[in-house]
Amino acid sequence: MAKQSIYQREVDSLEQSKAFLKKNEYSKLELQLEFKKNVENYEELIDQVKIITRISDRLQRKLNKTNEALESSNTQLADLNNQLNETIDQLTEAKIGRRASTIVMFIAIGLFIISEAFIEPIIDRAFPDNFWVGLGLKLIVAILIKPGEDFANKYMLKKARKKQLEDAKVAK
Amino acid sequence: MDNLIIEGSKQTPEINFDAASGILSLSGRSIPENTFEFFNPVLNWLDAYALEAPDKVVAKINLEYFNTSSSKYILEILKRLKGILKDGKDVLVQWYYEEDDEEMMETGEDYEDVSGLTFEIIGFEE
Repeated sequence: MAKQSIYQREVDSLEQSKAFLKKNEYSKLELQLEFKKNVENYEELIDQVKIITRISDRLQRKLNKTNEALESSNTQLADLNNQLNETIDQLTEAKIGRRASTIVMFIAIGLFIISEAFIEPIIDRAFPDNFWVGLGLKLIVAILIKPGEDFANKYMLKKARKKQLEDAKVAK
Repeated sequence: MDNLIIEGSKQTPEINFDAASGILSLSGRSIPENTFEFFNPVLNWLDAYALEAPDKVVAKINLEYFNTSSSKYILEILKRLKGILKDGKDVLVQWYYEEDDEEMMETGEDYEDVSGLTFEIIGFEE
């Protein structure tokens, strides 16, 4: 892989020096020239190592800063997402609450009409002198309105949340 | 001589070396999987270019981020430019950095010190 190395030139130079060492005899001039070449190469390598290390460390610092900024952005995004979800929940609850009230109001009106039109005459015939039976029945209907509204509200909320979860799964 | 144009990607810089005008642009992000494969043709092009470079060569380097092995190749590019300077040509390196990117500015200064080339270190707004 030496030929594919980013240090190809340096590796080639080292190989040349190794080949030189294998020679049996050296003249003083040859030795001086080889030594000079190696000193120059070594000096250049040291310069390279110094600069590359410095730059690498600095770019690592930049990468760390970017990661920190990214983490901070992610945290902010998560917070905003939570706030958004809470707001959506509140809006859904309010919307469903209004719908439940409307439904219960219509049921109450229906019960009132049924009571007046059908049940009241039956009660009047069964208890002609007792005013409290009819009133008691209307009272029971009136008392049941609030729990009925709560039940409708809970049921519709449960359904809406289930739908939200399914939508979220599809979106993923 | 043909221009050297390499399209940039998420991992490799865009290279636009215009032989005739002497404007050599290197920009983007340099984190190639194989730096040798990417930069070797660039160095070979510069070796050939040194023989027929115009009187004025301007290298415009605008890097967002680069890895350690790319830093070695940038050094090699600057060495080739130094060779062109030694041949009596006018060589200028314009090193661009985003204004809040202190690290990239200092890196430019380091390259200026080690290469012995004339650098213009230019900050720009994002």
